[in-house]
Amino acid sequence: MKRRQFIGAGLAAAGVGVLGSRPAFAQSSKQIVVSNWGGDWNDRTVKYIEQPVLEAKGWKIVRDLNTAPQRRTKILAEKNLPRGTIDVAHVAISDAYLLNTNGAIDAIDFGKIPNASDLVPEIKLPYFEPWLYSTWEIVYNPNYIKAPPTSLAELWNPKYKGKVGVTNQHYEDYMQMASLLATGKLHDLDAAKKKLLELKQVNQPKVYESHQQIAAGFKGEEIWIACNYRARGLQFAKDGVPVAVSFPKEGAALQTFGAVVPKKATHKAEAYEYMNALLDPKHLAELCQANFYSPASNKVQLTGEMGTKILLTAEQKKKIFSPDFGFLAANTAGMLEWWNKAFV
Amino acid sequence: MLVLPALLLVAAFLLAPLALVVRYSLDVYDPASLMKGVFSLANYTKLVTDPFYARVLLFTAGIAALSTLICLLLGYPVAYFISRSPSERLRSFLIIITVLPLLMGNAVRAAAWMVIMGTKGLANALFLATGLVSEPIKILYTPTAVVIGLVSVLLPFTIITLQSVLDSIPGSLEEAGRSLGFSPLHTMFSVVMPLSLPGMLAAGAICFCLAMNAYATPVLIGGPSVHMMGPLVFQQISKVSNWPFGSALACVLMAVTLTMTVISTTVLAKRYF
Repeated sequence: MKRRQFIGAGLAAAGVGVLGSRPAFAQSSKQIVVSNWGGDWNDRTVKYIEQPVLEAKGWKIVRDLNTAPQRRTKILAEKNLPRGTIDVAHVAISDAYLLNTNGAIDAIDFGKIPNASDLVPEIKLPYFEPWLYSTWEIVYNPNYIKAPPTSLAELWNPKYKGKVGVTNQHYEDYMQMASLLATGKLHDLDAAKKKLLELKQVNQPKVYESHQQIAAGFKGEEIWIACNYRARGLQFAKDGVPVAVSFPKEGAALQTFGAVVPKKATHKAEAYEYMNALLDPKHLAELCQANFYSPASNKVQLTGEMGTKILLTAEQKKKIFSPDFGFLAANTAGMLEWWNKAFV
Repeated sequence: MLVLPALLLVAAFLLAPLALVVRYSLDVYDPASLMKGVFSLANYTKLVTDPFYARVLLFTAGIAALSTLICLLLGYPVAYFISRSPSERLRSFLIIITVLPLLMGNAVRAAAWMVIMGTKGLANALFLATGLVSEPIKILYTPTAVVIGLVSVLLPFTIITLQSVLDSIPGSLEEAGRSLGFSPLHTMFSVVMPLSLPGMLAAGAICFCLAMNAYATPVLIGGPSVHMMGPLVFQQISKVSNWPFGSALACVLMAVTLTMTVISTTVLAKRYF
C-alpha cells in the first residue's frame, strides 16, 4: 500500500467511526452553544434544566464556561464579526444592560417563549430574560453572633474587629451596601467610600476573592460576619458552613441573573427554545430548592420551609432596591479603581 | 528563502496582536461605547501621574526579581548535580522529575499551595505541631506566598536551562582546575560559574519575564490585596471593559520587562565576557 493510499484508508476509517456515532443523536439534531459560569452554578443548570429538559430529547449542548467578565468581553468582541460563537449567554442583569447599550445583544420576543408569560415584571427587560434573583443580605456565624444582626451597621461594630469578610469580586455590591447604610440610597459614591474607609479603619476586614474563598473563611472561623446574596448564604449553610442569613432593616439590593441572545448568535430559534426550558416551572422549582435563588417566574411554586427560606416576605419586598444600571455602567471603572487603591 | 513564509507567518501572528494592543492603548475609554477611536496619550499620562500604578509596577518588578534570584540560587546546585550525574539513568530520572510539575497547570499548582499555606493548612499544622508558632500565621494572601508560588512555577525552567548549559562545559576543565590545586569550591566559582554565565542570564531572563507577567499565581495565592501588573491588566480589560487603559498597562508591562531584561543581560554580559 502506498503512503497516500494508507492515509486515505485511515481517513476513511476515521470517517466511518464518526458517522457510526450518529445514531446517538438521532432523536434530535438540535445543537446550541451556551455560555455560562462554571462550577456549581453550571453543574446545577445542567442537572436540573439542560439535561432533563433538553439533552434527554437528544439536544447537543456545547458549554462555553468562563467568568462573567470573560463572557461579556467575548460577546462585545464578537459583535463586529460576521458570526458569533455563542447562541445564548447567562449574564447578570447589569451586564445585560451594558451589552445592550453596546448593541451586542438582541431584543427578546417574549411571545416566542411560552414559559415567560408570568415573569416578575420588575426584573424583566426587553433584551433580558430574568431567571433567578436574590438579595444582598447579612451572612453571619450564629455560633459567635447569637442574636441575628438586623442592621448593616453591625459590620462596623468594633466587637467584630478582624472578623468581618469582604469579597473582592463584589466591589459594586459592597459600595451599594455602604451607600444604602449611609444615605438610604444605593448610589451615593462619596458616602459609600467614606463609610467603607471607616469599615477598613475600624474592623480591618479580610478581603477574599470570591464566594468559595469567603465560604472557606467562614468555615475556618477566620470571619464571623459578611454580606452576600441570600441564596449563597443558604447554599453555604447547606454545605456545612456555619452561617445564617439575615435581612437588614435598611433594605437590600436586588441581583438578577438571566439569559441574553447575542446579536451574532447562529442558532437563534434554538436559543429561544433554550430560554423557554430555563423557565420550565417544574424543573425551575427543583433548581431553586437546590441553589436557593428565587425564581423569576411567578408560575413556579415554592412552598413549605423551603419557600419560607428562599422567598422574600411582603415586608421585605417593600425594602428592595433595584440598581440603576446606567449609573453602574458609567461608574464601574472608577469604583473598581477606588476599591483597588483605597480599600483593598 | 525557504524559511521566509514561516517567518512571515510567525511575525504576522506575533506582531499583529501586539500592534492592535498598542493601537487600543491610544484610544479613550467611554462608559457607553467602551472605546473611542482617537489618538491620545491620556492612558499613558494617567499611568505616569498616578503613583498607584507606579507602585504596582515597582512591586511587580521587585517580586519578579526576588523570585528570579531565589530560582537561580536554588536551581543552580540542582542543575549542576543533574549535569554531573554519573549515571545516565539517574540523570534522565532527575530531568523527568524536574519537568513533571510543568505538566500541571498553574492554577492547579496554585490550588495545591492554597491548601498548604492556608490558616488551617499543612504548613501551619506543621508549625503548630513542632511548636514553632503558638497560633496559626498568615502565609496565604501575602507577598511571601506569591514569591513561594512563583518560585515553584519557575524553578523547573531555571533548572532545565542551566543544566543544558552546564552540560556543554567539559568536566576536564574542572579536573584541570583541581590539578592546579583549586578546591572544589574554588573550581566552581573560578571555572564553572563564569563559563555558565550565559545560561544563568538566559534562565534569569526567562524567570523574570514569566514572573513579571504572572497572572494565576498572584490572583490565587496573593489574593485581592497583593496588586501585580498581570491581574491589573485582566481587571481593566475584562472586569470593567476598559480596553484602552488595560492595553496601555500591557504595553508598559511589556516595555519595562523587555528593557530590564535587555539592560541586565547586556550589563552582565559586558562585565563578565
